[in-house]
Amino acid sequence: MSIPVLPLLGRGLTAGGAAGLTAGLFSLLLAEPLMDRAIRLEEARSHEHADSGAAAVQHHEELFSRSTQHFGLVVTSLVFGLALGVLFAIGYALVHRRDPEAAPWPRALLFSGAAFLAVSLLPALRYPANPPGVGDGATVAERQGLWLAAVVIGVLGMVLVWQVYVRLAGRSAPVRQLAAAGTAVAVLAVLFALPGNPDEVPVAATLLWDFRVLSIASHALLWAVFGVVFGALGLRALGRTAAPAPSGAVPAG
Amino acid sequence: MSLHAGQHPSTTAAPDATTGTRDWLIASAAAIVALIALYAVFFDNGSLIAATGSYLHEFAHDGRHLFGAPCH
Repeated sequence: MSIPVLPLLGRGLTAGGAAGLTAGLFSLLLAEPLMDRAIRLEEARSHEHADSGAAAVQHHEELFSRSTQHFGLVVTSLVFGLALGVLFAIGYALVHRRDPEAAPWPRALLFSGAAFLAVSLLPALRYPANPPGVGDGATVAERQGLWLAAVVIGVLGMVLVWQVYVRLAGRSAPVRQLAAAGTAVAVLAVLFALPGNPDEVPVAATLLWDFRVLSIASHALLWAVFGVVFGALGLRALGRTAAPAPSGAVPAG
Repeated sequence: MSLHAGQHPSTTAAPDATTGTRDWLIASAAAIVALIALYAVFFDNGSLIAATGSYLHEFAHDGRHLFGAPCH
């Protein structure tokens, strides 16, 4: 089979770059003030420890100034967007291998929404983001394993729900939809069967909540921009190859 | 579904098996680079390239926290 994967890859990189940069600038403006505050509070906490005689745990090696780390946030977000763009394009090409150029707009939005759920929201529900100052260096390997497992479960779960829905195409709508919903619940159960985050969270509840909302908002913004750009580029390519395309294309299936 | 004269149904890629294979090789290479990049920003704790120490980790520090990746 020869699916034209390279045009999709190009669109994925463009959309990913735009999405990563947008999310990076958004979080630079809104999340960095919170992170700076969290770091100041962490420093205050470790000073208190020092005053009370306990060994000050200064685990932040000051390799970079805060402003360099602010810049690092935007770069990290850009790299994240580009990498997701590549993986998205390949997944999109495989799922739509029969007619990869059809219905680019609704498919891009649907696929981005699914990717947001699988890659961003589900793992974030199980292991919500924590601001700087939370996170024990001794447990980082364990937490990375758990987080990776949550992302993998999110992606595989999404594929599973989609497959259940597709394979029951001959059945009535209630059967199909209930089966897909039941599968989704089972995936959630597996996700929440993972062990919890072992770390303490010694941060004020309001700061924590605001940070987590901004974290999910950054993910959502990234995927929204991604879907819009990817879909728009697909529409443009479609307009180029066949000027008045009869858009009677079927959605994913 | 009407095929106009002189217009191929799919002009973006030649219906050629070797072109398809080449494209997928490029795509696979891109996927590997993407996974390494994700590892570098979200998982590395100073072991990816020994010489970089924890510079990579510290540079990506804020991004890791923001996107929910485990950090120290």
